[in-house]
Amino acid sequence: MTGLPAIKVEKLVKRFGKTTVLNGIDLVVERGEVTCLLGPSGSGKSTLLRCVALLEEANEGFIEINGMPLGFASGPNGERVRLPAAETQKVRAHIGMVFQQFNLWPHMTALGNVAEALVTVRGMPRKDAEERAMAQLSKVGLSDRAGHYPSELSGGQQQRVAIARALALDPDIMLFDEPTSSLDPELTGEVLNVMRDLAESGMTMLVVTHEIGFAASVGSKIVFLDQGKLIVEGKPEEVFGKPRHERIDQFLDTYLDRGAATLL
Amino acid sequence: MSWKLFWLLVEAARLTVLLSIISISIGFVLSSIVCAAVMSTNRAARIGGKLFVSFFRGTPLLVQLLLIYYLLPQIGLNVPSEVAAIVGMSLCTAAYQAEILRGGFSSVPKGLIEAANMCGLSKFATFRRIRLPIAVQLTIPALISEAIMMLKSSSLVSVVGVVELSRMAQDLAASTYRPLELFAAAGLIYLIINLVVAALGLKLEKQMQWGRT
Amino acid sequence: MTFDPDLIIQYLPDIVRALGVTILLWIAGSALGIVVGFIIAVARRYGPRWLDLALFAPVELIRGTPFLVQIFLLYYGGPFIGLSLDSVTAGLLGLTIYGAAYYSELWRSGFVAIPKGHVEAAQCVGFNRTQTLRRIILPEMTMLLLPSMVNMTILMLKETAILSIISVPELTLAVSALGTKHYAFVEGFAVLALIYWGLVEACSAMGRFAESRLSKYRFAAS
Repeated sequence: MTGLPAIKVEKLVKRFGKTTVLNGIDLVVERGEVTCLLGPSGSGKSTLLRCVALLEEANEGFIEINGMPLGFASGPNGERVRLPAAETQKVRAHIGMVFQQFNLWPHMTALGNVAEALVTVRGMPRKDAEERAMAQLSKVGLSDRAGHYPSELSGGQQQRVAIARALALDPDIMLFDEPTSSLDPELTGEVLNVMRDLAESGMTMLVVTHEIGFAASVGSKIVFLDQGKLIVEGKPEEVFGKPRHERIDQFLDTYLDRGAATLL
Repeated sequence: MSWKLFWLLVEAARLTVLLSIISISIGFVLSSIVCAAVMSTNRAARIGGKLFVSFFRGTPLLVQLLLIYYLLPQIGLNVPSEVAAIVGMSLCTAAYQAEILRGGFSSVPKGLIEAANMCGLSKFATFRRIRLPIAVQLTIPALISEAIMMLKSSSLVSVVGVVELSRMAQDLAASTYRPLELFAAAGLIYLIINLVVAALGLKLEKQMQWGRT
Repeated sequence: MTFDPDLIIQYLPDIVRALGVTILLWIAGSALGIVVGFIIAVARRYGPRWLDLALFAPVELIRGTPFLVQIFLLYYGGPFIGLSLDSVTAGLLGLTIYGAAYYSELWRSGFVAIPKGHVEAAQCVGFNRTQTLRRIILPEMTMLLLPSMVNMTILMLKETAILSIISVPELTLAVSALGTKHYAFVEGFAVLALIYWGLVEACSAMGRFAESRLSKYRFAAS
């Protein structure tokens, strides 16, 4: 399956009631690429990510993961055909997800959180699963916190455990939904560093973020959404460099200090 | 009041505790079934479950007990009044516990279930490993309150002739003409039992806390 | 022992009269309980420490014992300390004391739940204590406490049935008397249950309506 894009989104439409949140999105993420989704709140970037994770079902359009249809396949006349759940689950196993609110299970230790799916989904013996979970925790620098419950960890540590939990299942695509938005500013660094290492190791990543510095330095591609439409797409230097698209200018003005935008 | 009288009350209190424990346990099992019905996708089961909860929470336990006490023999079940009492108490607490459980399940943060979903946990595994333990932990304080409520409500089975603590106090008050001391003593025994249950509940709550708070 | 609907029609005036007694006792007991409970809660929170401690014991005593035992103590034990009450007065007094203990705890939980910042903000714009209580704390608490207050008031209705045991001429007593007279216990208690069920559902429907009307006061998401 080399050559096939890791993620391919085609004419995706998502409505909540009468509001159209995604209005015909086309997007391709190549293997090993780090794509950063930017946009004002309400632009649909998180919804797009959640559709790719199949946490939301789109109303129209198709998503392919490594060339395999996710959730729905295209029928002979281009209509959407729902795929059997088992098949969908197999495709989804390629995807790992990290949430804004960490979503660690409060009744399991850090180690338990990482080992859980290895035991209940993969059927690994608990001892082996914990060994593997431990290795994953050391990769995010938390082997000394393995026995702690989420309530005993800082936000940054919780998010790193959540990353380890997703990585333990060997995904080849990682989705990040505003991974640093609920962290105190001084804790975002440790999470961004883990993500930077992950990007350098060649992981395909799709990241919804407000960290423009991270997007500019780590992203191989920037995708800018506004009102459910993809407005600008390109390398960071193209998107942030001058001349800039008008909406990007406005966005940078609101999300950064007015002065800081000129520094880019 | 003599120790002999007080001891008779304590003896009767044992039946109060026993009836309560049996009813709360049966009620818990029933409540799981009712809660499953209320949360199920089957419309008939949902309506049935909701009606059950609404009826047993919407009528006085006293009336339920009287109804059941007279209904059972009419449908051919000649059971001792203790059994009728247990049936009434179990049904009533099942309705309350079902509502508590339902509240617990709906308070499990959605994100935790989405995380399980993304990790590939099946629906059943998500229920067993994530939703159930968290819902149970969330409902412990409410379940303890319900147990205390039931211990107090068990005094009502005295009207169908079960000689538990409050009935013993009534009988002794009538025969000794000392209602003041006897009812005060009965109240004190209820209070002590409830304080013990509350203390055990707090201990359980602490044990179920994951990590420091 | 067949069920005869004519019986109900024949005795309808009696049933309605008894229903009136039940509703009067319920509303009076709840209203008094809410007011006395509020006074207890304010005294415990804003009064001197000894008052808080002095009120703690009776409140816990009431909450830790069955209503039935309290009523027996009041009605049968009262005369021994010079408190001879007729059954209706004893019933109302018992309901009030019982309700006051529970309502006071609800009020107290309301005081605790109001964010400190809201009170501080009121003080910053120059509200005095009474103004803060009247303009900020009470309106916020109404919204916050409405569901649990409605629940407690429903519980009060169900507790009035217990007053039949000391022969207060309320609904449960009247209907069980009819049942005994005509040897139709099951029918009588079934009708009785339906009446209470209807009252409770009506009360909770009113609570939900009030809640939806007040929903604009709901706390803004932080």
